[in-house]
Amino acid sequence: MDVIWGVSVNEVAWGGLIAIYLFLAGIAGGAFLTASLTDLFSKQQNPKVIRSGAYIAVVSIIVGLGLLVVDLGRPLSFWKLLLNVNMGSVMSIGVFIVSGFTALSVVYGYLIWSSAASQKQFKITSANTEVTSTSVGQGLQAFRKPVAGLGVLFSIGTATYTGFLLSAVTTNNFWYTPFLGIEAVPFLPILFLVSASSTGLAATLIGACNCGDLTAYKKVDMVLIILEMVLLFILYLSVEPVFFGGSMAALFWLGVVIVGLIVPLLLSFYGITKHKNVILPVCGMVVIGGLSLRYFVVYTGQLF
Amino acid sequence: MLAKKYTMIINIAKCIGCQACTVACKFQNNVPDGKFRTKTPANELKGTYPNVSLYFVKEACQMCQKAPCVSVCPTKASYYNEDGVVLVDEDKCVGCLYCMTACPYDARFLNKETGAVDKCTFCYELKVSKGEKPACVSTCVGGALIFGDLNDPLSQASQFLAKHKGEVRKPEFGTYPNVYYIYEGVVK
Repeated sequence: MDVIWGVSVNEVAWGGLIAIYLFLAGIAGGAFLTASLTDLFSKQQNPKVIRSGAYIAVVSIIVGLGLLVVDLGRPLSFWKLLLNVNMGSVMSIGVFIVSGFTALSVVYGYLIWSSAASQKQFKITSANTEVTSTSVGQGLQAFRKPVAGLGVLFSIGTATYTGFLLSAVTTNNFWYTPFLGIEAVPFLPILFLVSASSTGLAATLIGACNCGDLTAYKKVDMVLIILEMVLLFILYLSVEPVFFGGSMAALFWLGVVIVGLIVPLLLSFYGITKHKNVILPVCGMVVIGGLSLRYFVVYTGQLF
Repeated sequence: MLAKKYTMIINIAKCIGCQACTVACKFQNNVPDGKFRTKTPANELKGTYPNVSLYFVKEACQMCQKAPCVSVCPTKASYYNEDGVVLVDEDKCVGCLYCMTACPYDARFLNKETGAVDKCTFCYELKVSKGEKPACVSTCVGGALIFGDLNDPLSQASQFLAKHKGEVRKPEFGTYPNVYYIYEGVVK
């Protein structure tokens, strides 16, 4: 009888797979940013950070896209997204941004891998004979910095796109929330860019955790965590209280705020002042917080 | 010939909640089990004796003139046809469900049999393009549903809307629906 008498329940069109995809695309963007910016601008090149970021970017974006395709009503017709273009649709534009990013991250990952492999080879051979390896891979290394540079733009594009995808839904009072009431500036792209940078950096540091001096990276992550706290506080004040008081409230306060922001900030502050290595717990919690944030935003926008 | 501007008018005071529209739609359009292109749930029972009110509100695609589903669709599968009816091109639809997140009327659902998004079509292909009325309209027991072309001033729909105040659902979203609700004689 629920057709006639039942209270209509808001159906959730986008569920967990989409939340994980948004999270992974953010991780990929942030990890690529960490690797490529280190590659381009850092004086004391930290190869392990570059490698970790580059590989994490490739794996996360490919897994994320896989989840996205599986979530379609017709997974096998995903290629139609590339043929039928609607320039008025954020998703249609995003298809090309994310595809470009995926291609660049695969190329960059390959270049990093081949340079690491050739260096390893050089170490072994140089002990015996003076072999100068002039493999094909080294000629390609000339493309590494341009790919990194272009990839910076595409990774920022991918991370903000995950926010624009939701904020473009003008009929959704939560996703459409503007930044500080400025109608033209949506909130979620900014929040997701900061969260992507923070979680991507954290994931990269987990992959590179027992090497060299990572203090600079830890400090950047602390700044990003504080920035995200400020942004969430603004969001909290900008929207109706129902969005932070419903069934997703526990996930927000426990997962996003406590596990994802407050505890890692306190712990990394302790780590930096006492020179303790607390990368694994700090970064692990930041990553969990990022996933919680995507779940919270995706569901809250549809449930209330 | 002028393009049509098809509209549906729901005269709520005449609706007895019999669900003949709900059933006729499922018959006509072979809608999957558990899903509905249209249904007519009861509004909340309100008030205390002697001022108690209950009415039914027919729900379906509102055929917006500025449809959020059309603007977000990445493949142009959701589109306006030449007569202003919002339709889904099953062949272009990949089932991303972006339109479902955008529709403020919850009018759409994923058809598991086709993998595409499905919704009310005003029975455009099967009925209206042949000069007939949508299945829900022709079956309506209480005569609560009126269907017609607003670009034709002599149509029943135009004449009815000229005399009665038609309201649209959720006007704050600026979607300009082509489905009007008449609340005359109803205690809101």
